[in-house]
Amino acid sequence: MMHISEGVLSAPVLLTGAAATAAGTAIALKKIDNEDIPQVGIVSAALFVGNLIHIPIGPTSIHLVLNAIAGILLGWKAFPAFLVAFLLQSILFQFGGLTALGVNVFMVALPAVVCHYLFKVLIKKGESSKWLGISGFICGAVAISLTVILLMFSLIFTHDSFYEMARMILAGNLVLVIIEALLTGFCLVFLRKVKPELFIDLQVEGGGLKGSERV
Amino acid sequence: MIDLNQGFAQGSSWVHQLDPRVKIMTIFLLAVILAVGESIIMLLQALAFTTYLVLAAKLELKKVLKRLVVVNFFILGIWVFVPATYPGDALMQVGPLSISTAGVIYATKITLRSNAIMLGIIALLSTSTVSSLMQAMRWLYVPEKIVYLFFFVYRYVHVIWKEFNRLYDSMLMRGFKAETNLHCYKSYAYLIGMLLVRSYERSTRVYEAMLCRGFRGEFHNLDDLSFSNQDLKIFSGILVFISWIIILERGVFLI
Amino acid sequence: MIDLRNISYQYENGEEVLNNFNLALKPGDKIGLVGPNGSGKTTLFKIIMGLLTPKQGEVIIFDQKREKEEDFVEVRERVGFLFQDSDDLLFCPTVEEDLAFGPLNLGKSKEEAKRIVNETLDIIGMKGFEKKVSHRLSGGQKRMIAFGAVLAMQPEVLLLDEPFSGLDEEAVEKMVDILNNTDKSYLVVSHNEDLIDKVTNKLYYMNE
Repeated sequence: MMHISEGVLSAPVLLTGAAATAAGTAIALKKIDNEDIPQVGIVSAALFVGNLIHIPIGPTSIHLVLNAIAGILLGWKAFPAFLVAFLLQSILFQFGGLTALGVNVFMVALPAVVCHYLFKVLIKKGESSKWLGISGFICGAVAISLTVILLMFSLIFTHDSFYEMARMILAGNLVLVIIEALLTGFCLVFLRKVKPELFIDLQVEGGGLKGSERV
Repeated sequence: MIDLNQGFAQGSSWVHQLDPRVKIMTIFLLAVILAVGESIIMLLQALAFTTYLVLAAKLELKKVLKRLVVVNFFILGIWVFVPATYPGDALMQVGPLSISTAGVIYATKITLRSNAIMLGIIALLSTSTVSSLMQAMRWLYVPEKIVYLFFFVYRYVHVIWKEFNRLYDSMLMRGFKAETNLHCYKSYAYLIGMLLVRSYERSTRVYEAMLCRGFRGEFHNLDDLSFSNQDLKIFSGILVFISWIIILERGVFLI
Repeated sequence: MIDLRNISYQYENGEEVLNNFNLALKPGDKIGLVGPNGSGKTTLFKIIMGLLTPKQGEVIIFDQKREKEEDFVEVRERVGFLFQDSDDLLFCPTVEEDLAFGPLNLGKSKEEAKRIVNETLDIIGMKGFEKKVSHRLSGGQKRMIAFGAVLAMQPEVLLLDEPFSGLDEEAVEKMVDILNNTDKSYLVVSHNEDLIDKVTNKLYYMNE
């Protein structure tokens, strides 16, 4: 999973991450009414479970990040969604920790928000399922690439000696980029077929998921 | 491997009974000091302190060690790369690589910090029930929306995890094999898509059920956190210790 | 108390479930709704609660015509709806909080809410469950607590969607007992015809 452990990063990097996550979360909280909390919460819970699934590659397996899908569905709300999910993961399984929480959330949530807008631009260019799949593929690839780049930056800004390690992480995650891109593409095609309302909501509301079915 | 049931939260030690507000404040202070701390003596004492807390909580040590192993994978990566690339005087020569003294010290600090904070989280946060942590967060002025979001995620992770297992089992029953091919990835994408659809539909029903029980956009709570004498004594002790490690840390700069 | 006149409902995909459906629930009525899957029983409950809007027809509850969202606020306070899936209804960490959710929304004080929680647990025979974690209960226990959460609102009318599902024999008896001894009117949907017969004094058959 894409987490930096506790105690690795330097104070300036930790602070920057925390401040950026706080800002992103503050923007998102303005867009969330109390009425939306069940929806954002339960969709986040599904992403949390999605994060725990092992996907096989060759002899090993990896965990998914799913930030492209999170961003497409939730928009800015991806910030609080990942914040809460990672906090829970740190309490339940000690993944990620506390002081690195800000950086860890920022690394996945910023690319999620970028994908939200990217997807909106892409989806205007075509109606077909094939194009939807391709848009998903692009978003998935962009989201993970950005996440890996942010991860590298946070290591390199901490100390130059992390440079080699950061390069290895980049190389190791190229496979993840492809897998997430494929999964995001397939998943979006599936969602539009099975539950097109998810997309109607998305197009009506700037901030992503908001029940239009609601009375 | 997935323990969503908060196994560590069951217990009756004094650590378990400590007021969740004290636990959150303690781990927060400790984590911040450790994350920026440079003194190895301070880090060692903090590690001893959080280890003591884990022992005092009488947690199953095998499980605690398992958690630490997972956390230390990343740290292992640091030991592989950092000492060899860190600038400074060479401690020894391994093949073509020179291992620098400063690099070894740097990696040691990271290892100590990381493990000390992790043990602290296990001892202080994992021993509290999520609902008591929520009450404490509310008391500590964490934005209400975050607290409730946390609460819905926690509550429904269990339901969705069960749903995932049912879906996955039925895939296995129909001959699905986890392999490295397109069909497999497509199936996983559908599985995740299905989880999202069901969760979305469930969130609509949960919201409807809340409306039916008079929900009008405002959450009320029934909290009853009480700060006992014991909590006060322990918190004072913890504050003394935290002051001590700050002195240790500052001492390094003075010398 | 509830008067539905010529109700028709159509799903978003165009499929029709109710067609000119009429139903009247008077004080003391204990009505069972029987019909195959997909005949619109749950839809009917949602229309009464204002969660769905019928394509045509009149919804009259407590002698008032209900059309807009605001009209249903009062309905939701006075009518208790037991959802089919208990996990939809129980979302709080502990049983106590789940039972207090409704009363607190109705503006009861914390003390009153706690008193109601205790009384409710007594009625459903689950004393001692206050601090238990809702999601870790068995299916049958969740069903009973969900029923308690509805009763805690002190509604005048109950809408029960498959109340017996997942209950063991003892809990079924308890539920039958509670229903037979209450003076509240209710509508109940169940596939178990024996149990329906035990707890109702009128039956409506619904067809597709």
